[in-house]
Amino acid sequence: MQNITNVIKDTAKKLLEEKKVDLVVGFAKGSLPLRSTPYFARTAEEAERLVWDEYCENNLANYLRNREEKVAVVAKGCDVRSIVALMKENQIDREKLYIIGVPCRGMIDRQKAGELVGGKEILEAEVKGEEVVLRGKGFEEKVKKEELLYDTCARCAYGNPAIYDELVGEEVPAREANFKEIEEFEALGAEERAEFLAKEMSKCIRCYACRNACPMCYCETCFVDSSTPQWISKRAYSVKDNLIFQGVRVFHQLGRCADCGACERACPMGIKLSLLTRKGVKDVKEMFDYEAGLNPNDKPVLNDFNTDDPQPFLMKE
Amino acid sequence: MNNNNPYVPIPMRLVKNFTETEDKLIHTFTLEFVNKEDEEKFKYLPGQFAEVMVYGKGEAPFGIASAPNEPGILKFSVAKVGVVSTALHLLEEGSIVGVRGPLGNWYPLEDLKGKDIVIIGGGFAFTTLRSTIQYLLDPARRGDYGELTVIYGARNPGLLLYKDEIKEWEKRDDINMITTIDRPVEGWEGRTGFVPAVTKEVAPSAENSACIICGPPVMIKFTQPVLEELGFTPEQIIMSLEMRMKCGLGMCGRCNIGSKFVCKDGPVFTLAELKKLPNEY
Amino acid sequence: MIINKREIAGLLENLAKEYRVYAPVEKDGNVLLEVIEEGAEAALGAATKKPAKEILFPQSEELFSYQLSDEGLRMEDKIDKTKTVAFGIRPCDAKSMILLDNVFHNDQYEDVYYTTRRKNTIIVSLGCSEPESTCFCTSVGGGPFNTDGSDVLLIDLGEKYLAEAVTDQGKEFLSKLNLPEAGEEEKAEAEGIKKQAQATSEVDITGLKEKLDGMFEHPYWDRLHEKCLGCAACTYLCPTCHCFDIADEAKDKNGCRVRNWDSCMFPLFTLHGSGHNPRPSGKERWRQRLMHKFKYFVERYNATACVGCGRCIKNCPVNLDIRQVLAEIKAQDTGSEVS
Repeated sequence: MQNITNVIKDTAKKLLEEKKVDLVVGFAKGSLPLRSTPYFARTAEEAERLVWDEYCENNLANYLRNREEKVAVVAKGCDVRSIVALMKENQIDREKLYIIGVPCRGMIDRQKAGELVGGKEILEAEVKGEEVVLRGKGFEEKVKKEELLYDTCARCAYGNPAIYDELVGEEVPAREANFKEIEEFEALGAEERAEFLAKEMSKCIRCYACRNACPMCYCETCFVDSSTPQWISKRAYSVKDNLIFQGVRVFHQLGRCADCGACERACPMGIKLSLLTRKGVKDVKEMFDYEAGLNPNDKPVLNDFNTDDPQPFLMKE
Repeated sequence: MNNNNPYVPIPMRLVKNFTETEDKLIHTFTLEFVNKEDEEKFKYLPGQFAEVMVYGKGEAPFGIASAPNEPGILKFSVAKVGVVSTALHLLEEGSIVGVRGPLGNWYPLEDLKGKDIVIIGGGFAFTTLRSTIQYLLDPARRGDYGELTVIYGARNPGLLLYKDEIKEWEKRDDINMITTIDRPVEGWEGRTGFVPAVTKEVAPSAENSACIICGPPVMIKFTQPVLEELGFTPEQIIMSLEMRMKCGLGMCGRCNIGSKFVCKDGPVFTLAELKKLPNEY
Repeated sequence: MIINKREIAGLLENLAKEYRVYAPVEKDGNVLLEVIEEGAEAALGAATKKPAKEILFPQSEELFSYQLSDEGLRMEDKIDKTKTVAFGIRPCDAKSMILLDNVFHNDQYEDVYYTTRRKNTIIVSLGCSEPESTCFCTSVGGGPFNTDGSDVLLIDLGEKYLAEAVTDQGKEFLSKLNLPEAGEEEKAEAEGIKKQAQATSEVDITGLKEKLDGMFEHPYWDRLHEKCLGCAACTYLCPTCHCFDIADEAKDKNGCRVRNWDSCMFPLFTLHGSGHNPRPSGKERWRQRLMHKFKYFVERYNATACVGCGRCIKNCPVNLDIRQVLAEIKAQDTGSEVS
């Protein structure tokens, strides 16, 4: 990782010094353990602060829409998928974007780390190869990195950037996308599913961190904010309305969602949002054999029509 | 019901829903108090505003266009822009609406006694200025003030508010009523030109005088230097600001400029006061 | 007074007969302030995800309902007069209520929804023997055992809590609980714990307000907001943020007026009907949030609108850390100020 950090710094400095880009969007060291933070470097000196580690959890494609200036981005597999999807929607001009692709093995979930040490506060974390040492007041625990990965990362098949101008680090081995948790959810009865969703949605505080963390959520006025007409109640604690909010968001993401999990990570209340988004990802894959953001040259699936498209929602087949 | 709950509106009856402008986008609503005790409690001065509520739709803040010397009623001239104003426009006479107020501060007319008053307005921001004129023209009060000059501009004659009243004011000799429209129109007998230019022509004296100005931001922006040229100091220029508001009580947090709440510490500020605040409005 | 930890569950259950009792409860992965019902287990000592302000100023509340028909107008206001105990909130949350009092009962108006709840709520806070790394209460005029806003302060003595009355209301409340008096030894132990405890994190805010006085146009704001997502995690989870929206929910002419938390981080918060927005971008919105807490609030109410609870730090999706922001502001060259 140190090596990757160094290459990223050097690349960024070079790009900035040679004025190939005006800005490098990447990550810097965060202020908390197990945390890196999005960072905007505009000078070689600032580029010195760039880092790459297991804590670079944000999807930086979110910062790239409609940029005037030339930008380089440090992008892992899911960031690049969102970038590709945004290119298709005319939100990103590929000509003005330099992608420093970084193959990704997954990011570490702070919540999981906290649970593994029994809810005690982690004051320091150190990654040693495939192990992570978690330290706090009166404890030190070694945990396998794999056990700490975000669920979305653990099940991700696309750690390698689909497109890039430069690749930093070695490609990660190919993996099969895994929708086990969705299959388990689908296997539940309707009542159990409704109960689970109600429980999750009851946590929502309508802070819209999920929506704002998502690179694909860029409607000028989100339907939840509209007052003419007011589509849904602005009340928190309304499970029904919260579910409409998330439901519509997921439907709007069909064929666009890069399955990055940024929404779930952003949620301060720990709502299992990826269950909803990944259900959409799985359905689109099964019905249309399409996954968003993998191929810059294809048409977004819901912008396209084939006569043999499955239509189980329209007629019995 | 708690009588001291500042969130609860009083009921008023819509007695007149009058289409004020030719484009039909501004209506003037005359409301009558339903309860005598509500009327007694509703003591206001020109410059203040109120939240007007349409049952089933919500409430929105509007400057009070009537004057305290017009007892029994409140008037609001409202442009059709949002949910509440659109619903208001569609209301039938006789309907009940809610009113919460009076809110905010007022033009400091008490402090201006003995002075000449210049009133400058533009477009549909003439509402609280109408209230002021009506108030100052009260025979019991008119003698407390010097000359009263009013400059009022609109894009075209059809967009002027209170046309009948303006005609009456033009006939009087205790008010110098000047109207102007942006471009010449056949049959128009008033002046032509933008408010800043007309202000320059009229050149009201700044000596022992105060200017109350209310209008679209661009009008204020270009009139301000004219007034300064005429010798008006920032203390002599009094303005009313618009901001997005909800509670009107200085609590909900959205209408502040620096540490001042436009809803409660304003909407009336002197230019001198505004100059001390951050430029964020 | 002494409360044995084993007796807490029984005590809360007893209290619940007379009061609505809020206490921290573990619920689906979050510790929240919940109304204690029979059998619920309080997670005392844990920091609640949401701040205690929601007891007095819930995220959503109906202000009044109305029905307008041919028979006339019927209105009903929904002022909540339930006698309430907030048990085991943190001292920083208790302190936030003192700050909120300024807002909801200003020199001109009284928000009867807030003040009625406030009058009917007894605050029993639990001192923090082990503040978290993100806590900086001592830097903003508080402390792990600060009693501002509390009626009773609990001090954790391992197997038991020592309960100290802070206000007369707290004294009366405690006297009704039939608790054993604390011995001299226990009192000494509690004093020792209080002295030891300190927030681990420090932020120097001396002179910050004066610094901000000259910083409205400073280029610092140009980049501060860059990584901010513009969500409301920080403001909704802040114990002192109190901005709200008012909306009607109605069918025909029957409905209710609802108040919901709102956030200065949202673009629509200040958007005029004309389309003009005095705070059009993250730059103005972040400046507002910062200035409001550390300058405007000071000017209006002579207090800083931050209690150092660290929730905004822990919950920011992009790790925009207010401690760093404050330190950076202190380090800015504003050219004009003295010091």
